[in-house]
Amino acid sequence: MNTAVAFDLDGTITCEEILPLIAAELGLEREMRVLTELTLSGAIAFEDSFRLRCAALRSVSINKVRSIVDSVQLSPAIVEFIQQNSERCFVVTGNLDVWVAPILKRLGCGSFTSVARHENGQLLGLTSVLTKSDAIDSLRDQFERIVAVGDSVNDLPMFEAADVRVAFGGVHDPADGLYDVADFVTYEENSLCRLLNTL
Amino acid sequence: MSAVKHAVIAAAGFGSRLGRGYPKCMVEFRGKTLLERQLELLVDVPNVRLVVGFREKEVVKLARSVRPDVLIVRNPAYASTTTLTSYGLGARYLQKPTLFMDADILFEPPSLARFIAACKNAPLVGYTTARTHDAVYVDVRDDKVHSFSRNSQSEHEWANIAFLPPAYCESGSGNVFERFTDDLPLPAHFIDSFEVDRPSDLALAEAQYCGQGTDGLPHSDCNSLAA
Repeated sequence: MNTAVAFDLDGTITCEEILPLIAAELGLEREMRVLTELTLSGAIAFEDSFRLRCAALRSVSINKVRSIVDSVQLSPAIVEFIQQNSERCFVVTGNLDVWVAPILKRLGCGSFTSVARHENGQLLGLTSVLTKSDAIDSLRDQFERIVAVGDSVNDLPMFEAADVRVAFGGVHDPADGLYDVADFVTYEENSLCRLLNTL
Repeated sequence: MSAVKHAVIAAAGFGSRLGRGYPKCMVEFRGKTLLERQLELLVDVPNVRLVVGFREKEVVKLARSVRPDVLIVRNPAYASTTTLTSYGLGARYLQKPTLFMDADILFEPPSLARFIAACKNAPLVGYTTARTHDAVYVDVRDDKVHSFSRNSQSEHEWANIAFLPPAYCESGSGNVFERFTDDLPLPAHFIDSFEVDRPSDLALAEAQYCGQGTDGLPHSDCNSLAA
């Protein structure tokens, strides 16, 4: 069967969360932590939260953020799987295209991201914030089966649209809501790739 | 390296007959849970899948402590489905014969090792000495199971372990042994094991595991289960 695998990026392919890492580099940990808590508790929507995060980080040059993102550690087994299956693997992330470009280049697969407005290396604002189910829907024409791999609440729309749902707890336990709708749950990258290799 | 590459353990059920309110695989026998014992015995099987349902997060936590790379397969309909459904879900997408077992079984370790060594061709059905309260009796002749029955008593019972084609349990209905009915007779292999359904089974296991082996070999060490 013609199968695509859609991966969340933060905390799934990466071994650490990207936005807190950027925040830490810029001394904005507290602001980001408050936003994360509000988002996880459901007080604000993921999209609003993401817009606020981007606003907080807007003054920082894109190159500075990229250099931080470029230092983020990736899961070796997942990177290998993606590179070996690049035609049918996709990164589906709410993160900004201009920020995660270095990682996408390393992976060499297709991607769906939020899109930034920028000029002269400075972020101006957001053109669009990705709804992860739209990414899955747009793969429907090319693939008979779509597998979604993710760890957090913002992966729920992706899970809802996918055919096989894999909650991954490599960095932290998968969010409860995501766990509850998963078909498979795995906490270890090799175990995840063993499953993906059967699909 | 084991010839068995994939194992599916069904641990989704209630375990209500034990009357303890927690899954049967979390019952301790001589200070260690049934699930921990099984996972330790499957250390040489590269791909171990655990099907969970009732109180699943506790089961998952326990399993990860022994086997961090265990793949969790969820059976959200555990309350209304049988082990056959859990086996079908557990082996989904696998291509090679798979070892299926219930999580509420105590296996005598060398006997399980012999069973795994015998897993060359699927299907291979495990049977053991009849002794549990809820036994499904089997008629075994010439290393083949010829029938399963809850009523007609025999000296052997279905051991709730089998080496099967991966999609075998995706079809059929009812209990796992009922799925076998159309394919009888089936190749069978003895395994020294004990299903724990009720508190009385645990007491029986305590008493009988220090007895003589039933596969022609004496138990080298009656405490091997406690190791």
